[in-house]
Formats: sequence, C-alpha cells, structure tokens
Amino acid sequence: MSTVIVAKEDLGRIFENLKAAFRVIGPVLEGDVVVLGELDDLARMPSGRRDRQGPGMYRLGDVTDSKIFSFSIGPDSFKRFLHPPLREEYTFKKSKKRLQIQAIPPSGHDMRTAFFGMRACDLAALKLLDKVFLKGPVQDNHYALLRQNAFIVAVPCVRPGDNCFCSSMHTGPDVRDGYDLSLTELDGFFVVETGSAEGKALLDGVPARPAGPDEEAQKAATLDRCRELMKKSINVRALPRVIDNNLDHPRWADIAARCLGCGNCTQVCPTCFCTTGYDHIPLSCLSRKTSERCGSRRRAWDSCFSINFARVHGGNFRPSRRARFRQWMAHKLAYWIHQFGTPGCVGCGRCITWCPVGIDLTQELEALSATRTAP
Amino acid sequence: MSYDLAVPFEATVRWIKKETRDTATYALKINARDIAKAYAFQPGQFNMLCVPGIGEAPISISSAPSDHEILHTVRVAGDVTTHLSRLSPGDVIGMRGPFGNSWPLEEVEDRDLLIIAGGLGIAPLRSVIRHILSEGRSKKSSACPLPGRKFILYGAKTPKDIVFRDEFPRYKDTFQVWLTVDKADPEETWKGEVGLIPALMKHVSFNPLKSIVFMCGPEVMMHILAKDLTARGIPAEKIFISMERNMNCGMGFCGHCLFGPVFVCKDGPIFRLSQIAEFWDIREI
Repeated sequence: MSTVIVAKEDLGRIFENLKAAFRVIGPVLEGDVVVLGELDDLARMPSGRRDRQGPGMYRLGDVTDSKIFSFSIGPDSFKRFLHPPLREEYTFKKSKKRLQIQAIPPSGHDMRTAFFGMRACDLAALKLLDKVFLKGPVQDNHYALLRQNAFIVAVPCVRPGDNCFCSSMHTGPDVRDGYDLSLTELDGFFVVETGSAEGKALLDGVPARPAGPDEEAQKAATLDRCRELMKKSINVRALPRVIDNNLDHPRWADIAARCLGCGNCTQVCPTCFCTTGYDHIPLSCLSRKTSERCGSRRRAWDSCFSINFARVHGGNFRPSRRARFRQWMAHKLAYWIHQFGTPGCVGCGRCITWCPVGIDLTQELEALSATRTAP
Repeated sequence: MSYDLAVPFEATVRWIKKETRDTATYALKINARDIAKAYAFQPGQFNMLCVPGIGEAPISISSAPSDHEILHTVRVAGDVTTHLSRLSPGDVIGMRGPFGNSWPLEEVEDRDLLIIAGGLGIAPLRSVIRHILSEGRSKKSSACPLPGRKFILYGAKTPKDIVFRDEFPRYKDTFQVWLTVDKADPEETWKGEVGLIPALMKHVSFNPLKSIVFMCGPEVMMHILAKDLTARGIPAEKIFISMERNMNCGMGFCGHCLFGPVFVCKDGPIFRLSQIAEFWDIREI
C-alpha cells in the first residue's frame, strides 16, 4: 500500500503497538536455537547473533552483528501455531443407545495472534497451507478459525541462511503480498511496507517518513545481493518432470540406505501437513460396561515416514523406506504441483539442516536429474 | 443446512443382515433430523463409520440413493470392523460423510456397461446397480435411460463367499449376470463358473469401442482386468476403477490416502484408468 522509513530505534514503538493488540509470536531462544515463542519484549530476540547451518548442522554464534534480525530461520515455523501438532476435534460420550458428540474449537482461536518476523519462505508456506486447508470443496475448520486471527509482520531476509534456496523456488527473499506489515532491515533503518489497513494502523504514533528512491534502490540491491549469496538451488522448471519420470530411479535406494526414517524433515517442513486422527480415552473414562465409553478425538501430526502411514487391513502400501522417502520428496516436488498448482517446497532448507544424516534435497534432486546409470 | 464433515453424527443400527461368514450389511439411520434431511449421497461414495473409543473406518455405501436407507456392507478385517460385527439392532455408532466422487453414470449414455466386481468390491457397485434398476422403473413409459447392453461380472473365492448371493437373480431382467468362484466348495453343488473373472469374458459380447467399465475389487484383480480390457479394445478413458487406500480424514487434509499425485478420498475413490495408468504399475507408489 505505502512505503515508509522507520529508524531502527523506533522498531520498539511498532512492537508496542503490536503487543497492545495481539498475542505476539516471534523468534526467541531455546537451548541456543532460534525457535518461535511468545515474545513480550524485543530484547528477548536473539538480535546480533548469526547462525551457521549445514546438512545436519545448526550452530548459533555469539553477538557479532549490528542487525536486529541477524539470524535466519530455525526449526520452528508458524505451522506449529496454525496447524498444531496435537488438537482435540470433539469429545464423545457413549452409552448403549446414545452417542453424544461435542465439537471442540481450537484453543487460542479467540485470540488475535501476530507472527513477528515471518520470513518470505514461511509466508509462501502459509499461502500453500491456505490452499490445502481453505481452498478445497471442504474447509478445515480448525485451521480456518486460527488463520483468520493471524496477523503477519514479515521480514524479508537481507542475508540468506546457509541451506536456503528460496530464490530458485521464486518464494523469496522478498515478500510480495499476504502480509500486514513488512519490515526490511537496512543499515540503521527499516523500509516498512503496509499490506493492510490494520498493518497501517500499527504505524500510528511511530515516527516515519515516506521512502525516497534512494532507499527503495538500496532495498532492491540488498535483496538482489541476498539472492546472489544463496548457495543452493533447485531447477524448478524441471519439476514435476524430473520426479514423475524417475520414480524407479536407482538413486531412491541409495537415499534409503542413508535415511534413518526419523521424519524430522516432515516435522520441520512448513508445508508438510499430514496428520492422523485417533480416539483418546483417559483412564477416568473407563467403565466396567464395555458399551459405555467416553473420550475425545485427537488429530496429531504424522509423517509419511511412519512405517504404518499407508497401511490398510491386510497390507502396507509402502513397506520400504525407499518408497516412503520417495513419497515425501515426490509429493513435495511433483505431486503437489498436480494437486495445488505449485511445488510444496518453499526453499527454506529446514529439511537439510535438521536431517540427522544431512540428506540434501537439492543434491538428491540433482542426482535424480543426472543421466541414469544402470543400477 | 450444512454440517461439519469432521465431526461424526449419531446413527442407529436398524437391522443387520449376515451376508457371508465374515461379512454383514448394516442399515443405519441418522438420528438428528436436520442432518438426515441434508445428507445426500451418490452411488460410489463412502462414509467414515466411527466406533467411539476404537476408531474410524472408511466404508462404501452399498445402497442406492433411492433406497431410502443407508447400507454398509462390511467384512471383519481390523479393529473397527470387528467392533461393528458385535453390534446389534438399536445400538448407536458415529458416522461422517459422504465422501469421495461417484460412478460417472452420465458417461454411460448408450454404451455397453460392464460392472465388474471381486469379493466385497461388489458393495459400492451394488449402489450403482440398484440405482440403474430404480431409474429403469421410474422411467418405464419413456425409453430406457441406458439402452446399451449391461453386464455384471462377479467373482468370489468360494460359493460361500458370494456377497448378495440372493440378489443376483433379481438383477437378471436388466443385467446379464455372470458369477465365478476361484474354488468351488466340495460339499456345495456349485453349477456356475470356476476360475478368475477374465475367464468370464468368453460369455459376454460387447462393442469395445462403445463400452464403459465400472470396476471394484482387490487391486491385483483390477490390474489384471485393466490389462485384459484394454487389450480387448476398451479405451482406458472408459474404464473406471474404485481404489482403496488408508483414508483417515476423508477430506484431503491428512495425506494418508495419497496414491501418486491423487488423493483417493477426495479425487477418488473412483478413477479413470487413463488418469492413473502412468503410475499405477510403479511398486509401492
């Protein structure tokens, strides 16, 4: 909508306005890892610290940087808040001739929640989950309730993380839409863009001046440099073909020999949405009469790496780890395009960082694209 | 009125009919009047049946929309179906649905229709068979809505495993019915065919280029038949297959039923062979 310049020391004023209207979720420290949590004070952010990431590696360094948003993404994303790892869908109480069911709204649905410092990759992932949960013939009611209360303060990355490849996925580092407020941190000031009337209202009482062409140019140059510094990439034009044509490639067996099947990649991925529903019966609900039962229906994150993920009575459709890894990567990079029109990968690189054996999606895709050799 | 497809509603078991030693049909009545009124399904769709405290299972609807009852024909296989088998009339369970797409009746037109089922795969097809019968009855005065030849080819393990065995004679006015069993029981006097379903093909005469196939059964059987039927000249665009996967939510949110690029629960369970042929042959897809 409009672009203004806010001095670095005035970020606190925006934050105070934000805190007055929302529960704020932002980057905080937990055991020397940047995660997302309730943020009530800007000083709690790990400002000035930079992380180093590699395949299967994450280290947070000491304060060496003058930037407020000096760190890149950690394992956490908004997904944990809008699509919680565990949710209660309804309670049930059953006697022989009567079944009472009471739907449960998601906890926190009546609270406006601001995501402070959402990066471009996560904003892209948020749009993808919107497609999955809101744009089909049926809506996911829990997600819809939490989503409508979300307020997004985006922060485009001015320096990439070591495993990032958003530039090649066309999802970043710049943010184009879908935010309420966007804060690009340059030297000593923020280029602030408002994406909604509510975002604009947050600038009330904050000293700001309109952005000049110099500052706009500086922002563009900084983001371009961020793109250039990105070490990893995916040839997105080859998708979904590379996967569709190589579902029986010998490389899958090679990956399976390294993959532990732990499912870390699916838990840190901001777009992995798979869950399993199950009935939960607390001990207090047990009755002597087998026809009487009470409890609740729960839905928890699951992973296509779970051994029983594709089990039906009498058999498992994906008994091998080779097939389960292929399912994950093929869904992310190919099936998603068939289903939702875009790849399910936003290039955040979390699956590379948090894989205990350092399997690198970008390299595996390259290997699949390379000329096939006999197995 | 619309209702939440993620939350089950109460349904009472009205009657239960034992079909074979391990399979029974359950007639369910939705208790909430407003939901019962809003509930509408098409032949080929499925419901999630919920046994509170045990879990849910996706089960095809085996009655037709015009039947005014919701039937599910269930074989004892896992926890949920085992508990269903212990129900008696008057008991209540939970139900969510309907989910999935339906048999493409609009594509039948004047084509020859082959309905092919193996084992309990007859359940979602019984819905379409009965739908066609009722359409025929309601439009007696005008021309038959489906003028092509109509066949039912059904295979079961043994004569004792034939589901809806008493009903096939009633379908004979409208359909040419052919039954076969893998193995005839020694003590029973089975006079029908013995062998796999492709062996029945010698009895049926259809125009392959003007035929349409609705098929449901074990995946191995459908694989073999898909090859057989395309070899006989039926185009893959006109072969429809009802698939089974591990449906957990029914709405495309949980990912369990992914079958290559398609969600069986919301894109299926019925697929055109041409839509899935490319990846159906790939192991563990």
